[in-house]
Order: sequence, then C-alpha cells, then structure tokens
Amino acid sequence: MRLPAIPLAARLPIVSAAILGLVGLVASQAVMGALVEMQNRHLRETLTARIDALALALGPAVLREDVWETFDILDRASGAGGRLPTLRSTVADRTGTVIASSHPDTDPVGAQLAPAIDAAVPVADLSVSGKAAAVSVAAPLLYQGQQVGILVSRVDLSALLAERRATRATLLAGNAVAILLLGGIGYALIRRGLRPVAVLSTHLSGMGDDPQPVPERAFPRDRELARLFFTYNRMVDAVRDRAETDRRIAERERYVSLGRLSSSLAHEINNPLGGLMNAVDTLRHYKDRPDVAGPAIDLLDRGLRHLRDVTRAALQTHRGDHAAAPLSAADFEDLRMLIEPEIGRRAQRLDWRLGEIPEERGGLPAGPVRQIALNLLLNASEGAGAGGVVCFAAREEAGALRLCVCDTGPGLPASAVARLLSDVPPVNGGGFGLRLVRDLTTGLGGAIDHARRDGRTEIRIVLPLREEA
Amino acid sequence: MDRPRQSARRKLLRGFLGVAAGLAAPAIVRAEGPTFRFGLTPVFLNTDAELLARLRGWLEGTLGRSVRFVQRRTYREITNLALVGDLDAAWICGYPWLANRAALALVAVPLWRGRPLYRSYLIERAGGAAEDLSDLRGTTHAFSDPDSNSGFLVTVSDIISLGHEPEGYFSRTFFTYGHRNVVRAVGSGLAQSGSVDGYVWEALAATEPDLPAATRIVARSEWMGHPPVVCPRAREGTSEITALRRALLSMSDDPDGRAALGLLQLDGFVPGRENLFDPIARRMALLDRAE
Repeated sequence: MRLPAIPLAARLPIVSAAILGLVGLVASQAVMGALVEMQNRHLRETLTARIDALALALGPAVLREDVWETFDILDRASGAGGRLPTLRSTVADRTGTVIASSHPDTDPVGAQLAPAIDAAVPVADLSVSGKAAAVSVAAPLLYQGQQVGILVSRVDLSALLAERRATRATLLAGNAVAILLLGGIGYALIRRGLRPVAVLSTHLSGMGDDPQPVPERAFPRDRELARLFFTYNRMVDAVRDRAETDRRIAERERYVSLGRLSSSLAHEINNPLGGLMNAVDTLRHYKDRPDVAGPAIDLLDRGLRHLRDVTRAALQTHRGDHAAAPLSAADFEDLRMLIEPEIGRRAQRLDWRLGEIPEERGGLPAGPVRQIALNLLLNASEGAGAGGVVCFAAREEAGALRLCVCDTGPGLPASAVARLLSDVPPVNGGGFGLRLVRDLTTGLGGAIDHARRDGRTEIRIVLPLREEA
Repeated sequence: MDRPRQSARRKLLRGFLGVAAGLAAPAIVRAEGPTFRFGLTPVFLNTDAELLARLRGWLEGTLGRSVRFVQRRTYREITNLALVGDLDAAWICGYPWLANRAALALVAVPLWRGRPLYRSYLIERAGGAAEDLSDLRGTTHAFSDPDSNSGFLVTVSDIISLGHEPEGYFSRTFFTYGHRNVVRAVGSGLAQSGSVDGYVWEALAATEPDLPAATRIVARSEWMGHPPVVCPRAREGTSEITALRRALLSMSDDPDGRAALGLLQLDGFVPGRENLFDPIARRMALLDRAE
C-alpha cells in the first residue's frame, strides 16, 4: 500500500517516531515483566517472612487455643505491613474452627473457616495478577514441628497495583515525550536538510512547467549540494537549448518539405507551360479564326487555373497566418494537389479516401494537421518506392479526427519508428519530419499508432476534436 | 517457676526498669538500702508507661529508696510472689486478698470518686439491647482474670444466683488478663459480652474514649471495696510498710503524688476496713457453696 502524500520532511520523522515507539513498547513490556516478577517475588518473600514470624508468636497461644492471646497478636500485627498491609488475619485450629480473628465480625470465634481456607492460595503460588486489590493466603501454623492450626491472611495488594500503574504511566509518558521530542527534532533537522531540495523542486516546476535556473545567491553552502545546484543549472540550460533547437528544426522542416516539393511543383508548372505557349502562339496566328482560337483559349484557361490552384496550395501550406485557421475538407484537397506531383513523379498510385469532414468543425487548427498529413504522405511516398501504392484516409469518428497513411514500401526502420513513437533524440541530424509529426500530434493531445500488416506500413493518427470554438 | 530463671528474669526486668526510671524520672534521688518491690496487677491501667513512671518517681522520692514494679500476666502470679515474700507490697484485687487474708495484710485502699469503693460492669458491644445478664446467655463472654472480683467473680456469682451453672451459661468464655483487654475484646466483637472493672472502664473513658465507646454497660454490680494495696503479714510492722502506708495516705498532699493520682483518676488512699470487702466475701461464699 502506498503511503499517503506526506511530505518527505514529515514522513522520515514519523517513521523514526514509529520505530522509536515500537522499541519503547518492547522495552516497556520488558520493564513491566521484570516489575511483575519482582513484585511477585517480593510478595511471596514478605508474606513468607510475616507468616513465619506470626507462627512463631502464635504457636503457644494457638496450642492452648487462647482466644485473647491469639486475637491480641493478630490485632497488633494487623497494624503493620508497610506496602503490603494485612487486611484481616484469622487463625483456626486443625479442624478449621476459628480461634480468633483480627476482624471477629467477619470471622467470629468458633465459626467454621473451611470456605475461606479453600478460597485462599498457598504463599508459594501467590502472584499479583489481574485487578484483584486483595488476596487471601493460607499457611499451616507449625509449633515445634507440629501443625497446631491454620492461618488465613487477607493482604492488601493495592499499593503494588498502584506501583504497577504508576510505572506503566511513567513508561508511557516517557515514551510519548521521547517520541515527540525526538520526532520534533528529527523533523526540524530533516526539514533543514531538505531545504535545498525544496528550492530545486520549486525551480524545477517553475513558471509554466519550464525548469528555471537557480540564482547563484540561492546556492547552499554545502559543497556537494552546491555542485548539485550547478549541475541542475547546466541541465536547465541544456533543456532550453534543446527546446530552441527543436523549434528551429521544426521551422526548417517546413521549408525542407517545401523544398522537396519544389521540383515536383516545377514539373507541375513546367509541363503545362509548353501547351500554354502553343496555345498563345495559336491565338497569335489565328486570332481571326474563332474555331481555332476557342479551343486554344479553353486550353489556356484550364492550364492557368491548374497553375493557380497548385500555387495557392503551396502558399496555404507554408503561410504562417493560415496555420491557426480551422481545419476543413479543402485543406485535404490542397494536400492532395501538393502530393500528387510527387506521386506521379515516382509512378506511384495514390489511394485517397476522404470521409466526412464537416466544414470548420472540431476546433482543430489547419496548419499543424496539414503539416502532419503532408509529412506522413511525403514519408510514405518515399518509403513506397517507384511504382508503389500510397494511401490516405481521413474521417471524423467518435469525437476524433482519424488520419491513416499507408504505403507498400518495406516498412519504417526501427530508428524512424522510435522517432515517431518516443522522445529519443534524433541521430545524425536526420528524421525530423517524423519527430515533427510526433511533436505536433502530442501538442494537439492526439495519439499515434504504427503497424505493419499485409505488406503495408500503416501510421494512424487520432486527434481528439475539441468543443466547438 | 524455678529459681535460676526467675532470678535471670528479675535481673533483666531490673535493668529495664532501671533504664526506664532513669529516662522518666531523672530528678529522683536514690537512697541507700534495698530496692522496694511493688507488685502491680491490672486493677488499674498498668500498661500506661507515663503513669508507671510518675508513680514510681513519686514512690521512690517518698520512700527514699529505689522502687521496682513487678508485673505478671495473671493476678495469681503476683499474689503468689507476695505470699512467698518476693514482694514487699502489691496492689491486687480484693478477691485474692480475701482468699489469702491470713497471709496478706491490708495496707491502704484507693479512694475513687470520694469513696473506697468500686463496682463491676457487665458490658456488651455498643448497639446491643441486652437488659441484664440473662439476655447475654449463650454469648461468647470475656473475663478478665479468674482471680478478679469484678472481671470474674461478680458475673459467675450472679449466674449462680440466677440458679444456673456457670459452666455452659455462656457459649464460650476466655480470659484476657486485663480489664482493658476485656473492653477491647467486647468492642471488637471478639466477645459479645464481658465482665470488667467499673473503675477501669470509667478511667478508659478519659484516656482512650474509643475503647469504652465501642461497648455498652448492661448491668452494674453493688459497690464493693476497691482493690487494695496489701503486704505479706510478716512485713506488716516493718518500717518500709509503715513508710509506704504513710506515703499512700498522704499522697494527695504531695504534688508528685497528686500528679500520679491524677493519672490514676483516683482521689487518694485511705487505711480501709475489712468490712468494705464483705460483698466480695459473700460472693466468694456463694461460689464456694456452688462448688
């Protein structure tokens, strides 16, 4: 079971205090055990000595069954006893008939003492147990080696019990004070020791989860900790450098993809140019012949419109102010127009499936989504090789925009998959296209799935649609 | 009792009493001459150390010689010591004196409440409702001493007067060998009834009021001669006994004597007459006839 979220500075003293308490408990038990044993021994020794002394004094009187002498001895003895006062002593003859008691009301002369004798315990078996504040002991009275009677004494144990309670209370109080004191000191020391960690923690989770460097004036005086702070600051610098680098690389990637498209676009523009030039010549020579000029004008119109669309698509993809505009189906059509020249150049087939993409819905920005799809399409086209198949599908389903790009190429190398699915740094400065796909997808709160099935490499992107803007 | 043991005990007692006297009465001037041996019995509160010290201090000062108080557990032991001449004088009960009148001579009789008389109390535990001796039949009874008039003879002779046998009248009897002990026995419940010297019971009311307060007087006897100071007849005319009688009779004139009398709660001593003890003699005769 996990401990609740208790600060480290409190958790360690609590654990220490718990261990201390446990040790104190065990030690207290040992002390109480020793005390109980000592009390029992003291009880038995004291009562044995007392009974021996009484037997010595009582012997002749009991032998004569002298009521007064027996009473007088018991009565005077009952006043003594220190911590173990005798509450009542009764002497009976060998038949159990009372000769005299220090408390004649309880045990009158001539009464039968057998029940009290039966209820009493021998001194050797005596112990202070439970909460009985008094105990009855029975002992034979010997005189000149012969038993002349029986002595039953009721002894007050309350002083021993009180001593036991007082000892227990003292132990508990001592343990509690020790635990509180040492726990408090431990808390203060650990809190003081962990102060640099708190400073690091504060700066680590600084503004907007951006690690902040610790000012040198806040460095601890301890050399080891100061080195830790120094290392931390270097790490913060490295993280910042890396973030800046990533940002620049992402920026460059946009232009890289544009560059990769540029030759295709040049062909796309160049190819119709011959026809258009011919149409212009035809118009120049046959401007009076509408039957010839008409088709030439139509051809010229189609060619110029195509060029206009291609140019607009390229501009849309790389123009910054369009990036935040809401995504629409037209954005995917632009992509198709941009990728088709590349597909055609590689004699590939493009399988284009565009599902229902409601206009300006989902709150997804057009720029990042277009960049994701373009990078994946370019990657797929490159992977599919000459004569391969590249497929693209986009649809809205279950509150998410789902993109799927596949190709019939040999599949992504492991390093490329790692760049797509994890945060491992790109090696050799390459593969930033897939890393950009990952960063953009993550930034939009989406997920990436990569699979290889039926000789195809499939990359699926799921982008959750936000509430309507 | 064999002589060597008695002698050893005497030495021990002499030493102890000497130390006690030295501590209690350092101003006493010791005179030359044999020690005066004075036997004491529980006819008064003979366990009161201060009283004993004052009494001895006064007596030594008056007699001009050291005085040794001799105490024993029973009346009989003291009586016997007096009979054999081991005591110069003794303060005993009227009953043993009458029984040994031929050998023991009357020296003086105490005055209690202006008269040389006292009486016996029949007591039970406080809270009881007995009206007379017959209501106490079948109880456990505490006597003081078999040679005590007030602590034994009075009750036994009353039982006989009632037409009963003393044996078996009470379910159980025992002797405490002291009137104070009778009061303790009855007050604690050890005995349900007891026979006690009325003078001692009243004296206790002043010194240890809790003891008599735990008891209740059921019946009081007739007035009888107070326990007297006696001496062996062989010494009756000696200077020591003459001096003792003179000292006792003039005790109330002496400051130390008055102080001792104050502790004894007595008014003084008078020569006394034998007929003071006639009531005791009648009871003795009753007992003799019953036996």
